[in-house]
Amino acid sequence: MTHVGVPSTYAAVAEALAVLVLLSEFAMLRAPLSRSQVHLYSFQSLVVTGLAAFVAADRHVPGLYAIAGISLVLKVVVIPAIVLRLLRDARVELVPSHRLGVASMVLLALAAAVFGLFVVGSMKVHSTSLPTPALALATAAVLVSFLLVILRSDVVSQAVGFFSLENGVSVASLVVAAGLPLIVEVAFFFDLLVAVVVFGVLMRVHHARTQTLSTTVLDRLRG
Amino acid sequence: MLGGPQLDPIVIQALQVLTIVVFAPFVSGAISHLEARLQGRRGPRILQPYYDLAKLFRKETLLPTDAGWVFVLGPVVAFVCYLTVPLLIPVLTTYPLPLGYMGDILGGGFILALGGFSVALAAAETDAPYAQLGSSRAMTFGGLIEPSILFITFTVALVTTTDLPYFEAAAARASTADALRPAHLLAALAFFLVVLNDTGRIPVETHSGTLEFGMIDEGRTLEHSGPLLALLTWGSAMKQLVLYVILINVFSAPWGLAGSRELGNVLVAVPIFLGKALGVGAIFAVIDNSFSKLRLFKITEFMAGAFLLAVLAVLVLFVGGG
Repeated sequence: MTHVGVPSTYAAVAEALAVLVLLSEFAMLRAPLSRSQVHLYSFQSLVVTGLAAFVAADRHVPGLYAIAGISLVLKVVVIPAIVLRLLRDARVELVPSHRLGVASMVLLALAAAVFGLFVVGSMKVHSTSLPTPALALATAAVLVSFLLVILRSDVVSQAVGFFSLENGVSVASLVVAAGLPLIVEVAFFFDLLVAVVVFGVLMRVHHARTQTLSTTVLDRLRG
Repeated sequence: MLGGPQLDPIVIQALQVLTIVVFAPFVSGAISHLEARLQGRRGPRILQPYYDLAKLFRKETLLPTDAGWVFVLGPVVAFVCYLTVPLLIPVLTTYPLPLGYMGDILGGGFILALGGFSVALAAAETDAPYAQLGSSRAMTFGGLIEPSILFITFTVALVTTTDLPYFEAAAARASTADALRPAHLLAALAFFLVVLNDTGRIPVETHSGTLEFGMIDEGRTLEHSGPLLALLTWGSAMKQLVLYVILINVFSAPWGLAGSRELGNVLVAVPIFLGKALGVGAIFAVIDNSFSKLRLFKITEFMAGAFLLAVLAVLVLFVGGG
């Protein structure tokens, strides 16, 4: 009766988690408050952590538990806490930064996601750790995070867009290289930490100079 | 299991319609009672909708001066449409009944849309600005939510190779993997948003508001009175319960339905279904109390969300996933 092959429970859950990563990317794109964007990033990281732990448990890759642990501490707790702290210091609640209407942004991002899904979906990458649609979904999430950086003109969106891009890449690496040596994976986290420092400095300097988090003032001429 | 004499399928089918007709006001009443409780009010009695209907049926019908036969016929056609849909969907049984194959999900959708259309037409017959406003808005937003409904239908079609509601329910019942596959979850979530829209709930519309400027579906019935208004109110309660049936018994929790034709099984399925409907109603009541209504021109954002979920459901199937 079923036309499209029914996935195993493992594949179904893994794909549902990957879909959740993509959906939270969409939610970040449309969220009006910077604070809720950071919360959504934290949630997305939690889902990625869950996915890593799920793969570790089911496919017996003990190294992934370490990754999941580091990601839980760093991406779910520490980084969002730092960004929220910066936001509290900046005392900015709402930065009107949508360059397009929300519905148009969602449709545009959907087009980008479709592109990513079909291009990577047709590549037929075989993986032992995760079903290949997860790779396509991760690519779609990366493309939507690009749009988040492009379509929202405030510093927090750009930072969160960059961090969540890393989340998309993490899911992709779970599909392609779940057995990657631990040291390489940990190196990625240090990259992320450097990015946090850079974005933290950027936010502070930008806010100190312009008294706003919006980047639209940057192209104003100074005399 | 529970035994009893074997029922004729025709009788079971009639029972399905009867369940919807009889209990629709009850579910409406229970939801508004719960809503009031959540807001710290005592609220109306759960059976209040029945008293309201009885009162309205005893009253005289007043027609606006310019209203013609369309105004009178509209509510009747809508009521008949909402009576027809329970023939097509699994209200009480897991197995299709004789008339169950008469129409698929799209067919059921068309009949529901015809009901909404006839009410809108009846409202447009009057010269009253608020009724016409409601009529035009209902059609506009009905059109905007339609793409999501189509993509949900596509998902069902891809998953089951049919678009019969019975098979989608059977697919969801078949195994955990089937129930957890992302396409199914996304379609169920998208349909949840569609139901939120079609039953006139927050964030799209205030269900029990009296402010005409925010009205969409409610605005259409402002000019009707007496038995015609009773038919409209009853009809909208039935439409709500029908949508709950599809949400529960097709997409989210198709468990607890009668698997055989024995009297006991079929009768037990009624309270189980009502319990599930009240559970869904409670979720809607909580949503009603925890979100604010969207501005009229922001409703497209809500619809974009439903569309996104429905399209993703189809896409995930196309890239070879669940």
